[in-house]
Amino acid sequence: MSVGAAPRPRAGAVVVASWRRALNEVLRVRGALLPATIAPVIFMLGMTGQFSRLTDLEGFPTDSYLAWIVPLSCLQGAGFAGAATGSNLARDIEQGLFDRLLVAPVPRAVLLLGPILGAVTRCLVPATAVLAVGLLLGAEFTGGVLGVLALYGASIGFCAAAALWGIFLALTFRTQQAGPLMQQGVFLAVFLSTAYTPEALLRGWLAGAARYNPVTHVLELSRQATVSGLEPSLANTLPGVAALVGLILVLGGLALFGLWRIGR
Amino acid sequence: MSLAPGSPPAVEAHALVREYKGGIRAVDGLDLQVAAGEIYGFLGPNGAGKTTVVRILTTLLRPTSGDALVGGRSVVRDGDAVRRLIGVALQEAAIDPLMTGRELLRMQGALHGLRSKQARERGQNLLERVGLTEAGDRRVGGYSGGMRRRLDLALALVHRPQVLFLDEPTTGLDPTSRAALWREVRALNDEGTTVFLTTQYLEEAEQLADRVGIIARGRLVVEGSPTALKAQVGPPTIHVELADAEGAQRARSALRGLGALEPAGAGGDIHVQLRTTAGKAAIAPVIRALDEHGVQVESVEVQMPSLDDVFMAVTGATLEGASSNDGSPSSGDHVGEAVPASRAPEATTAR
Ligand SMILES: Nc1ncnc2c1ncn2[C@@H]1O[C@H](COP(=O)(O)OP(=O)(O)O)[C@@H](O)[C@H]1O
Ligand SMILES: [Mg+2]
Repeated sequence: MSVGAAPRPRAGAVVVASWRRALNEVLRVRGALLPATIAPVIFMLGMTGQFSRLTDLEGFPTDSYLAWIVPLSCLQGAGFAGAATGSNLARDIEQGLFDRLLVAPVPRAVLLLGPILGAVTRCLVPATAVLAVGLLLGAEFTGGVLGVLALYGASIGFCAAAALWGIFLALTFRTQQAGPLMQQGVFLAVFLSTAYTPEALLRGWLAGAARYNPVTHVLELSRQATVSGLEPSLANTLPGVAALVGLILVLGGLALFGLWRIGR
Repeated sequence: MSLAPGSPPAVEAHALVREYKGGIRAVDGLDLQVAAGEIYGFLGPNGAGKTTVVRILTTLLRPTSGDALVGGRSVVRDGDAVRRLIGVALQEAAIDPLMTGRELLRMQGALHGLRSKQARERGQNLLERVGLTEAGDRRVGGYSGGMRRRLDLALALVHRPQVLFLDEPTTGLDPTSRAALWREVRALNDEGTTVFLTTQYLEEAEQLADRVGIIARGRLVVEGSPTALKAQVGPPTIHVELADAEGAQRARSALRGLGALEPAGAGGDIHVQLRTTAGKAAIAPVIRALDEHGVQVESVEVQMPSLDDVFMAVTGATLEGASSNDGSPSSGDHVGEAVPASRAPEATTAR
């Protein structure tokens, strides 16, 4: 028999294979999608029920709090779907599954693409569910097709950023016990933004945090879908896109650093 | 051992050191060479550093200092090239429970550059080879331990690696599964695959390995073919059990001319041990001599030195069941040139 060096793997095939594997996390675990989908919907309903009259305040760009909250819940659902990538990776590391990937002659960064793509795919489910329930309850697509595109773009980008964050923590702590930290990072990033009220109504350090928090811009981007005061425009889009690119670059750098440290 | 002329060693390690955080020196200046086409058995008790060495050789772990070459490529500087040459089955046989055996093989094919048609065919062949054709479409979560190990081996073979690393491939397996795996390893080796195998089982090393390296506390303490290593320890021992203690004195004088008598053990006088290169051929003369001296014999047994004796000779501890940190020095009476050749009789193992 001939023994020679194996052929060089094709990155595309590796990404597709690991993407399919990442989808198993929801397709083959019964009920796995339910909590991730229901939580942001419930959150949206709760917030709308309690704070619907906030829109009466001077400086609120819309008179529908539901319209204000729908994009936020979409992002939250997407963010948590992304962070789950970190928990899954931590489990793979703990159980030794990741070693199998690491001994393949594949550039390590390529190994992360499939799981990130998987998260992005999964995140469409909660985002769409939130949107559907929001529409049923009376939210409107004030931004038309462009607005919806912006909302999905923001969700996908935020999911990818959250996935990189989770991956960084997984590679650093190598234990599923880091799971809560992954989720809380996403929660805090959203909380310290203009999640619940516009910046004009925030006071003190919260206002400062929201101003410098890139997630604020990602939210603005997504709100072009349903908030009547935020029409789709380049001015409302570019800061959000820049924020996402920045987040992905920084968190991606951290994830690559985590990969580099493996085995050292 | 002999390195095939012209072909570089499949594996070589030079002054390999790995310190974990916290200062544990798991590998402590290891040098070794594995010839292409060899089955190398890396034998050592729990915690000796076997897995750490395998992880370094398979590029999963960086050495703190030193280097190792696999197929002539440095695991430190040329990890990607090494990964294209090797197949690895790690100790835990970690496989995704949500996937079927066939799916895992296909994914492994993608990871190693097989086209999807190739990967499908190769997967089918390997499933047949390891006897998992029927289970191939079931999720791995439902596989038994033996089935997982077999699948793990198949996964390691997808890309026909030149060098196969197996970390304790049979630990925890029942005897049937173990024998099946041994057969498979031999067959692979016959096809030209170099095998680097770690084990805590003496029998496994003896059965499979062309050469054995014994590791204790991160150091290679001895290396050679099982036969050579055992010969190094000394000749076989003839173990005589007497019917009663009264004959002991007469037995010892009867046997004096036939080989080297072991000093009388602490465990009673009904055991007499004689070391002789004649081995089995000495049984008849021994019985005759004892008979001539009127000694009543209960049993006569030839004991070949085992790898455990080799381990004992070089480290002063027994291998089986020993963990590297119990470090009990051997008791006084047998240290030195005379190495205890048997584990069985109570007389010599009363330590
Ligand atoms: N990740 C780790 N961190 C710290 N110490 C470790 C780690 N892995 C192994 N060790 C220690 O290194 C030594 C060798 O371990 P190992 O290579 O697993 O031995 P073996 O495979 O022969 O049982 C042991 O003392 C073990 O406790
Ligand atoms: Mg081990």
